[in-house]
Parts: sequence; structure tokens; C-alpha cells
Amino acid sequence: MAEHPPSWAVFALPVLLAAVALVTAGADALLAAGARAGPARSPREAAARAAAPARGVLRELVRQPRRTRAADVALVRVGAALLPVAAMLAGVVLPLGFRSVSDLPEGVVWYNAMEALAWAAVWLAGWGPNSALSLIGGYRFLAQGLAYEVPHMLAITTAALGAESLRVGGVVDAQSGLWFAVWMPAAFGIHLLSALAMAFWGPFDRPAGRDVAGGAAAELSGVDRILLLGGRWLLLVVAAAMSVPLFLGGGHGPLLPGWAWTVVKTAAVLAFLLWARRRVPALRMERWTEAAWVVLTPLAVVQALVVAVVVLHR
Amino acid sequence: MRTSDWQPVLVLLVPAVAGVFLLHALSAAVRPVREPLRTGPFLGGLEPREHALSRFHVRWYPVTMVFLAFDMEMLFMYPWVRVVTAVGPSAVVEMFLFLGILLAGVLYAWREGALRWT
Amino acid sequence: MDLRGRIVRAALGRPRVLAAVSAGATERRLAVEAELARRGWPCAAAPAEADLLVVAADPGPGTAGAGTADWVARLWEAMPAPRARVPLADAGEAAAVLDHGLAELRRRGGARHGGGHRGGHAPAPPAGSPDSPQDPDGPHAGHDSGLVDGLPLAGRADDRDGLRLDRLHLPLGPALPDWPAGLVLRVALQGDVVQRAAVEADPPGPGRLPFWNEPWLRAAAGERVARGEAARRLCAAHLDSLGRFFAVTGWPDLAARARYARDRALGGAGAAELSALVRPLTRRARGSRTLRWLTAGVGVLPAGRARSLGVAGDAHGRMLGWLDAVARAASACDDGAPLAADPAVGPRGPVHGPVPASRALLDALPGLLEGAEFACARIVVASLDPDLDELARAPLPGAAHG
Repeated sequence: MAEHPPSWAVFALPVLLAAVALVTAGADALLAAGARAGPARSPREAAARAAAPARGVLRELVRQPRRTRAADVALVRVGAALLPVAAMLAGVVLPLGFRSVSDLPEGVVWYNAMEALAWAAVWLAGWGPNSALSLIGGYRFLAQGLAYEVPHMLAITTAALGAESLRVGGVVDAQSGLWFAVWMPAAFGIHLLSALAMAFWGPFDRPAGRDVAGGAAAELSGVDRILLLGGRWLLLVVAAAMSVPLFLGGGHGPLLPGWAWTVVKTAAVLAFLLWARRRVPALRMERWTEAAWVVLTPLAVVQALVVAVVVLHR
Repeated sequence: MRTSDWQPVLVLLVPAVAGVFLLHALSAAVRPVREPLRTGPFLGGLEPREHALSRFHVRWYPVTMVFLAFDMEMLFMYPWVRVVTAVGPSAVVEMFLFLGILLAGVLYAWREGALRWT
Repeated sequence: MDLRGRIVRAALGRPRVLAAVSAGATERRLAVEAELARRGWPCAAAPAEADLLVVAADPGPGTAGAGTADWVARLWEAMPAPRARVPLADAGEAAAVLDHGLAELRRRGGARHGGGHRGGHAPAPPAGSPDSPQDPDGPHAGHDSGLVDGLPLAGRADDRDGLRLDRLHLPLGPALPDWPAGLVLRVALQGDVVQRAAVEADPPGPGRLPFWNEPWLRAAAGERVARGEAARRLCAAHLDSLGRFFAVTGWPDLAARARYARDRALGGAGAAELSALVRPLTRRARGSRTLRWLTAGVGVLPAGRARSLGVAGDAHGRMLGWLDAVARAASACDDGAPLAADPAVGPRGPVHGPVPASRALLDALPGLLEGAEFACARIVVASLDPDLDELARAPLPGAAHG
């Protein structure tokens, strides 16, 4: 068990998460601009392309907020703000090296509970503006939740089962030898898929898809837009970072200190997700739900069974 | 002074929520037009005939029922992971029998076409 | 300059642009999109995220009951401040117009407005005059149930699964992202499933040649047109359709690549460069099992109907058709031989048919959309990609240079 972190860590966490989200979004913007207009001709141009998300935040700050006709403003406000707040609260159990802001005894459940708040957040933000396209976006996320959540819960339970602990620190300790990703590959893969799905990003971006003009975000401008779209990046970062302690051995690794291994592994997971999203089209839930229930859920159960048998004979 | 593992969580709620209010305040301070814009919903430029808020028909309604069963199951599974070795093989047999029954339900729902809706 | 003004200026350095494009303005739309990509300015999907409105729309009759000026005005009213609006009359002026728009945006953003200026602006008149000259399914229940903010709530109607459910009537278009310019679909939605759909096509203003058919029309009018020029146009037209198709199916990376290749084709790239751009695109789209799984069986046309339209049976097949044509056209775009006047077959079909090819595509739409989920409906529209420029009156021979 690691010692407690300094008390300022609580205030450093939101700043750190926001910074990582901004860097990740910048890398994605760089890739996107390269696809649309060819490779950058100068480092200066590349920097300007990567700065697009930061500029976007500044741009939304100076913009007027919108109220659509007969909108439920309170719901929009709450929904948009809930997403980043939930992502940060989930980040409490993320260890940097071997120390997290708070290594809760039920850390895995806490992460699951906070991440599930996205259901409420996106639906509220989609329902609130009284606009058909944004309503469709909000409901798309609920359908998506029904598809990804069960395999996701089974996957993180499998990691907890491997360590026989719901404490994230305990899961990391159990991986001082073999990483869980090696002997629970299905659970690891499912966790990465659900990281994309809960952040409604990449191949799971239909709740905020361009075909519904931005879906749940279609009617938002100003701070509400920053919160909802920034919140999804935060959620992506937290979920991707969570796969490091759960499956990739956390801070364990040779030579480098624990915190450095966490940083390297998190960056690798995020880079993989950024690459992977460019290789596949978006998954529509009316096709994906079937695959999630008929393939992923039984697969996750079998994976849990294998791990349970191994744990019994350890 | 730290009294509980949950204390930092409560403390974190403060900067997180304060950050939301700070952004709103900052925006109000710098943006050229403070009052919100009142406008209609966007559908491509034309106006709809009714309000969008309605009893939205979700075709995936049966999936929510299947989901609920698994969601309940997770309530048992989380505490279960901590006692597997302590209880022994019977814990594993019981849990996976339960999961097997639920999966049979999924197969039934699949055969009935509840997992596809267009 | 004060700090606030400086922040606003910095924030507006690369504005998000919404293009209001009517039928007949394809060339201007392409010029704006290419210029935005060159500058790295983002394209807005909705007025809520737009700073700058570029109006590439001819004053026209518009769809029945809602003239072009009306929907452009609604887009403008839906954009939050600071905002600017610039007209684009000619494709060659795209760069200058964007510069002007940026200057205008910065000017407006610098000034601080008091209460009520644009903030308390009254919403577009909702009640009484909804944009619904044609009701796809006659009068419906619910109008008597009382108005909220000038609009009624949704009424109920029978549904495809034998239930009685709330039904929304929506006009989709003409300015949705990745949507054929000028197309308006009047749909009745239950949940996100299209119950009924009616097409209203906004014809282009007089005197505009359909941009994508131009080489064939000019050749038919007796002008000497190189075969390579026609191949280049065909290649760009299908790449444009592919860009929309990929954007709508949620594959922004391929959409961006298709549009980059399209801009290069129109910008005069050689056959070697174009083929090199097109080859990886074709390989990835063709090889994607996920894309096949998601789009095969969407928008299925009966074999006879598909043949008469000159397209494949489902959305995935239609995409493959475009990929084939693009690859062939890309390698032929340096061909200097003269284009034969006959047969004149453009990107969508014969350019001189008794009925414009795009009219037939539009007529096929309602049947395909009924019962489709919203995302599938968008894919169906994108996979047919009717070109409303073709709905112009039969072009006069000799009036070829638009």
C-alpha cells in the first residue's frame, strides 16, 4: 500500500487531466488536418494545427450562449457540467505511479459509478434544448450505453477478480509480475472499446455525430459547449488512463520510476486510440447492440470464468 | 488532516464545481454580448411544426429489460470478487450458473429479434 | 487595445465557417471548402458552432413557402454573437470574401454590445407559419392540444410496429452538413425512425449550368473539350459524393482524404498524383469489413429500379461504384483527346435524358427512407447524392460558359 499523496494533489488533478485532454485533442486535430489538407509544410503550421482545440476553447469563451425555444435551460446546464465533473471525480482513483489522490477501498466500483453518470449527462444535454436533432443524439447515447455497459462492467470486474480486490492500488499490486492484459486480453480489449463508447468518441461518436449536426451538442454554444465537448475528452483520457492500472501493470516496469511508467503507458494507450479511430467508421447502435450482446457479453463472461478458475488454483 | 479515503473526493468536488462556475463567470466577463441568444432549433434552416420534446419511441426498449437483469447481477458480482478464494469453488459455480441463466435470456432475446430494430 | 478586446481578437483568429449553399452554387461551395482547408479554418455543422456565415445562394423561388432568403435568414438568426455574414457571388472570390468576413467578425467582436441588441432578439416566427405547405400525411391530431410558445406538441399516429405513438413533423435541410444543397425532406419521425418522407427540391436559379455536367454539356454544344477534363470532373464529382458518404457514415478520416483528393483534382493535379491520392482511399474503403457490415443492406433498391437509375442495389454497392469510377477517371485525367459529344454521360447519368438523372434519384428517395432509422436515412441520401443543379431548365446550347 502506498502512502497518502500531498493534500495539493486534489487541486492538481483537474489541471493535469485538462492538460492531458488538451494535448490529446491537439494530436487528434493535427492528424485530422493532415488528412484534409495534406501534411503540414512547416513546424509553425503543424503547431497552429495542433493548437486548434485550445483556440476552440478560447473561441467558445467569447461567444454568446444560446437558448432554443421552450428549452429546459437547467437540464442543459446540469447535463453539460455533469460530464467533466464526473470524469474528474472518476480520476480520483487513478494512480500516478503507485499513488492516487485517494485509493478508495471500492475504487473500481467508484470509477464505474462516475463513468455511468455520462448516461444522465448526455441525455439531459440532448433533451434540454427542445430540438429534434439534439434529442436524437441524446437517445443514441442511451442505446449506446445499453450496448457497452455490461461488457464493460464485466471487464473491470474481471481485473478486480484477478487481484481479488476492488481497490485500484490492489489491482496494481497484483500485477507486479504478469500484466493482466497478457492473461485477460479479452477483458482488456473490451475495456478499450468501452472507453471509446463512454466518451462517445471515435467509432462511437454517433450521439454527437455530424449526421445529426452535432447531436447532443447541436444547439450548444459558449461555456456549455466547452463543458460537454471538453468533458468527453476528459472522460476519454480518464478511461484510457484507467486501463493502465487495471490491465497494463500501472507503475510497474524496469528502470524508470513508477510515475514515468504510468505516463508512458497512458500516452501509448491514447496514441493507439487516436490511430485506431482513423481506421474505422462509426458504429451504429442498431447494428452494434447485437454484436455487443451476442459476442462481447458471452466473451466477457468466459474471460471472467477463466480468471475465476485461475484465482481458485493460485 | 485526512480522516477517510472519501475526504479527498469531497474536497475535489469543490475545485471541479468551482471550475464550472469560473468558466461561466470568465465567459460573461469577456464575451461581447452577454445576454443569451433566443432562437429556434436547427434542422437545416426551416422551422418545425411541433416542439421536439415528445414521447420518443425507443425501439431498443426490450434491450433495457435484458440490461436491467445484468445490472442487478453486477451488484452481486462486485462484492463476490473479494471472497472467491475464501468461499472456494462453490462461489465460482454459483456465480457462473447465475450468469449462464442470464446469458440464456440474452440468447432468447436475440432469437426473438429484440437486439435489432431496423 | 484592452485585454478583453485582445482576447476576443485572438479567439476569432480562425473562425468556424457555415456555408449556406443553394442549388446551383456547387462551384462556389467547392471553392469555399478548398479555401477553408487551405487556411485550416474549421467547417461548422450547425449555426450554434458557426462564427462566419458565407452565403453562396442565389435568390431563388426556394422551396414552396420558404424562399432561399428565408432559410438563410434563419441560419443567421440562429448564430450566436460575435458573428459575421458575407455573400459570395463568384467562386474566384472565395479567398477575398473569407478575408473580408474575418475582418468584419473582428470588428463586430471588438465592440461590446449592451442589453437587448442581439441578445434578446425575438426568435424566428414559429407559430401560424410553420414551413409546411405540404403535409406528407394530411391533417393530424394534436393541433387542438394547446400551444406552447406558439407551437403545438407532437400528435400521435399509428406506427410501423402497430403502436400508436408521438409523431414529429420535421423539415430536414436545405443546410444540413454533408447534405445535397437545396434538398428539403419533409419527414414524419417516430422516435428516430422515419415514418414518411416527401422530397422538395429547390431548383437552382436561372442561367446556371450544372457544374458537374459542364464538360459534357459544352462538348454537346459543339465546343472542343478534352477527355481528360471530363475525367477530372467526373473524378472530382464522385470524390465529392464519397466525401459526403464517409462523413455521414462517421468516417471523418476518409471523408477528409476524399475531399483533399477532390480539391487536388479540381486544382489541376496530374494523373500520377491523383492516382497516388486515390489508391489508398480505395484500398481502405474497399477493404473495410466494418463499413460493409454497416452499410450493406441499407437503402436497397429493386434490381430493375437500380439498373434504370444506373446505380448499385445498396448503399455499400453504390460506394464501390464510385470508388471504381474514381480510380478509372483519376488515371485518365491527362488525356488530351477531344471528348465525343455523344453519348454524354455525366457523373449522375445521361446529361440530356428526358428527365434529369438526379430527378430520378430524388424520386427514388421517399420509398427508401420510409421505415429507416435516422442515421440510415442520412446514409441513403448520401449514397444516392442527387445533384440538384441538374434540375435547372434544359440548358440552351451555346450558353455554356456560366
